[in-house]
Amino acid sequence: MRSPIRIVFEQRNETAKHLSVLVPLLSVVAALVVGALFLLATGYSPLETYSNMLSDGFTSSRGMTDTLGLSTVLICTGISAAFAFQMNLYNIGGEGQLYLGMIGGAWAGLALGDQLPTFVMIPVVLLVGSLAGASWILLPAFVRSRLGTSEIVTTLLLTYIAASLVKHFVYSPGSFFVTKNSAFPQGRLVPDSASLSGIGDTSLYPTFFLVILIALALFWVVKKTEYGYRIQVISDSPRAAHYAGINANRTTMSVMLISGALSGLGGAVLIVGPFGRLDPGIILLGYGYAGIVIAALARNNFSAIIVSGILFAGLRSGGDKLQISTDTPIHIGVMLQGAILLFALGGEAFRRYHIHAVRTERATQ
Amino acid sequence: MTNASHEVAKGPHHASGAAPSALSAHSIVKRFPGVLANDSVDFDVLPGEVHTLLGENGAGKSTLAAMLCGLYQPDAGYLTRNGERIALLSPRAGLQHGIAMVHQHFRLVERFTVAENVILGSRDLSYKLNRSELEDKVAAVAESYGLPIEPGATVADLSVGQRQRVEIVKALYQGAEILLLDEPTAVLVPAEVEKLFENVHAMTQAGKSIVFISHKLGEVVEISDRVTVLRNGRVTGHVSGRGTTDTKELARLMVGRDIELTTQRASHATGHEILQIRDLSLTVGGVSVLSDISFNVHAGEMVGIAGVAGNGQRELADTIAGLISPTSGSIAISGSMTTDRGPIHARELGLAYVPEDRLGMGLVPSMSILDNLLLTRDRRVVVDRTTVRPEATRLIEQFEIKANGPDHMARKLSGGNAQKVLLARELSGGRTATKLLVVCSPTRGLDVGAIETVRALLDDARSAGQAILLISEDLDEVMSLSDRIFVLYRGSVVHETPGESAELATVGAAMAGLTPEDKS
Repeated sequence: MRSPIRIVFEQRNETAKHLSVLVPLLSVVAALVVGALFLLATGYSPLETYSNMLSDGFTSSRGMTDTLGLSTVLICTGISAAFAFQMNLYNIGGEGQLYLGMIGGAWAGLALGDQLPTFVMIPVVLLVGSLAGASWILLPAFVRSRLGTSEIVTTLLLTYIAASLVKHFVYSPGSFFVTKNSAFPQGRLVPDSASLSGIGDTSLYPTFFLVILIALALFWVVKKTEYGYRIQVISDSPRAAHYAGINANRTTMSVMLISGALSGLGGAVLIVGPFGRLDPGIILLGYGYAGIVIAALARNNFSAIIVSGILFAGLRSGGDKLQISTDTPIHIGVMLQGAILLFALGGEAFRRYHIHAVRTERATQ
Repeated sequence: MTNASHEVAKGPHHASGAAPSALSAHSIVKRFPGVLANDSVDFDVLPGEVHTLLGENGAGKSTLAAMLCGLYQPDAGYLTRNGERIALLSPRAGLQHGIAMVHQHFRLVERFTVAENVILGSRDLSYKLNRSELEDKVAAVAESYGLPIEPGATVADLSVGQRQRVEIVKALYQGAEILLLDEPTAVLVPAEVEKLFENVHAMTQAGKSIVFISHKLGEVVEISDRVTVLRNGRVTGHVSGRGTTDTKELARLMVGRDIELTTQRASHATGHEILQIRDLSLTVGGVSVLSDISFNVHAGEMVGIAGVAGNGQRELADTIAGLISPTSGSIAISGSMTTDRGPIHARELGLAYVPEDRLGMGLVPSMSILDNLLLTRDRRVVVDRTTVRPEATRLIEQFEIKANGPDHMARKLSGGNAQKVLLARELSGGRTATKLLVVCSPTRGLDVGAIETVRALLDDARSAGQAILLISEDLDEVMSLSDRIFVLYRGSVVHETPGESAELATVGAAMAGLTPEDKS
C-alpha cells in the first residue's frame, strides 16, 4: 500500500527577509494568472488586455499621472486602514469615513470659500474633511475602548449610514450641497479658492505629495516615537502594557480617531482635487475598501503602502480605461483587486510556516 | 561516589539476562527547525520499574516522551514494545500498545464528572451510558492502585492533586501498562507529592512501568530505579540503583559542570522598612482574594511568600506593583503611600517588579531586548534608543545573556535568558534606583545553571540593600533564600516563620491549609 502524503506546516523560527517582498509580489502575479483564466473564459486575450492595462496604467505619461492622481486617495485610505490594523483594530469602515470627509470638505468649501484665500482654504477643507472622517469613527472608538464592542461590526454598519447621508445631501430638494435650479440633482462645485488644479493640466494634484509626506511621517512616528512604541506594546501584549502603566483605552481611542481622520482626508482630497463637489458616484468606487487591500498587501508598513497604493491605482485606472478603448469589462480591475487580497492573505501562510509534504511511515505490524 | 554505571553509556542499558524491556527507544533522532532535539537517544523501561528522564529544559526529555507515546514520530530510530518493533502514529496508537502520558497541563473537561472524564475517548461505549455501572468500574480501577477518587465528583471541584489522580486513573482505565508522567510534582504540595509517590509504588508493584520526567534532583533520587540524563538532546549518563546516587553527580551530568545551590541568608543587619502593607484586602467579583494582609519588608532583607498557586500570590504582587487597586488597606513604599496611584507612581518610588509571566507581561515578545529595557523607563516623546544601546550591550554582558546583541527579539530568547533580561532591567533601575524588588517564581522553568545565576543575582541585590519580596511556588527556593517566610493560603497569611528555623513539614502543612492544631 502506498503511504499517504501529509502536508506539514512547520512554524518558521525566523521569517526570511526575502519572503516579505516575494510573497506580496507573487500574490500579484498569482492574481494576474487567475484574472487571465477569467479573461480567456470570457473570450478576451489576456496578454493584450494586460499590456493595454500596463500602458494605460503605468507606462504612458498620461497613464502615469492618472495613476498617481488616483493613488492619492488610495494611499490615504491605505494608511488609514494600516494605522488601525497595526494595533489589531479592524477599522473596515474607511469607506464611510471617506464619504464623511467628502461631505465635511464640501461643506467647508461651500460655506467659507468666498471669504478666504486659497492658501487658507485648502488646509481648512482638508482639516474639516479629516475631522468629519474622525467624527464618523468616534462612536465605534468609544464603545470599543470602553466596552470592547467589535469595531468591525460598528465601523462597517456606519458605512451604510454614511452612504445614505451622501445620497440625502445630494438628492433631497433644497440641500445646501446642490445647485439650486438644476433639473438634474448634482452637487454644487466648491469655489475656486477651495480647489487646486492638476499639475501641468494632468489629473495629478499637489495633494499627492502631501499624502506621501503624511505616509512617511507616520512611518517615522511608529518607528521612533513614544506613541509608536506604545502602539507596539499594546498590539503585541496588552498585559505588558498594563504592567508598564500604559493606558490602552486612551491609545485605542486615539489610534481609531487618527485612522478615521486619514480616511476623511482621502475624501477631502477629492473635493480640492478632481471631484470639486459632493458626488454620489463615490459610493460605487469603493476607494475606502480598496485601502484595506492596500494595507494588507503592504503588511501595514507605511512606506510600502505608497508602493502598493500606486500599484492599485494603476490597476484601477488601467482597468477603467480598457472599457473605453476596448470593450473589456471594467470589472477586471476590481476583480484583480479582490484576487490580490485573497492571495496576499493566503501568502501569509508561506511567510509564517515552512510548508512541505511528507510521506508518513506505516506501522510495521 | 558509588560504582554504579556513571560513565556515559551508549546503547540501551539492559540488565543482563532479564526479560525484554517493556518499551525501548533505539537511536532516536528528532529534528526541529534549527534544533536537534534528540540525537540518537537510547532509552528503555522494564516492567515494574521507575525509570527517570532527567534533564534541563530544552534537553530533549519532553520530545523523547512525546515520541514514546505517539505524539511525535522520530526522524530516525525506532521503538520496540516487549522486543517487537512498533511505530506509533498517534497517541491513540500508543494507547493501543498500552502506553499513556499524563501531561503536566491536565487535559480534563472541568464540567464533567471524574467518571465521565475517565471514559472520555473510549470507543466501546454503548449509546446509552449506564452511569452507576461506569462509576463502579472507574472506582474499582482506582482502588486497586490505592488511588482514592470519587467517580461522581465534578472535576471543577477537585484540587490539583486530585485532578492528577484522575488523569492517572484514566490512563490505567484505558489499559496503560507504561505510564509517562511529565513533571508530575511541579503542581503539587509536599503532602501530595508523598501521596503520588505511594501511588507510583503501588503501580510498579502491579507490574506497570513508569517513565518519570523531571528536573528536580531530590525527588528523582527518591523515586527512581534508574535514571537517564539528557543534555542538549544527547544521553549523558545512565545511572542506576535507588538511593545510591547523589544529587551532585546527577547535577553535573545534567548541566555539564558542578553546581552549587546553597542556602543564602542576609549577611548584613537589615535596614529600615521599605515596604509597608497594612490590612490589605482585595475582593474580585464578590470573591475574597486577599484578606487582611499586613507585613513589612526591610532594606537588605528577603521576605518569602510560600503557597500553592492560586492562593492570592499573583494578586498580592500585582497590588503592590500598583496594577490592581485593593478593596481596602494600604501600601507604602519608602513611607509614601502608593495605594490607588498606579504602576508608574510605584516605580518612581523605587519599585521593581518581575512578574511570574515573563513573555507577555514582563517582556513584549515581538520587541528587541533594547526596546524591552525601555518598557518600564521614561521614554520621552521621541524614543532615544542611541543612548540606551550601550547600556543594553553592557547589561547583556554583565548578566551573561545569550543573545546576538541589543536587537535580539525577546521571543527568541530561551526561558532562562528571558528571565535574565527581565532581571537586568528591573535590577538596574529605571525611573529611579531600585529600592524594592518584587519577584514572582523567578526560577520557574529554568534549568539548574540558570537557577544558580538568578539566585546569586537576588542575593547580590539583597546585599546591596534592596528590599526583596520573593513570591514562589517552589518551596525549596523560598526556604533556602528567605530571611522571613509567610505562607499564603486562600488569600490570608496563615503561617509566619524566620527562614533559618523554618521546617519543611510545618510550612508544607500550612500551604495545604492545615494549621498546627489540625495536624496533631
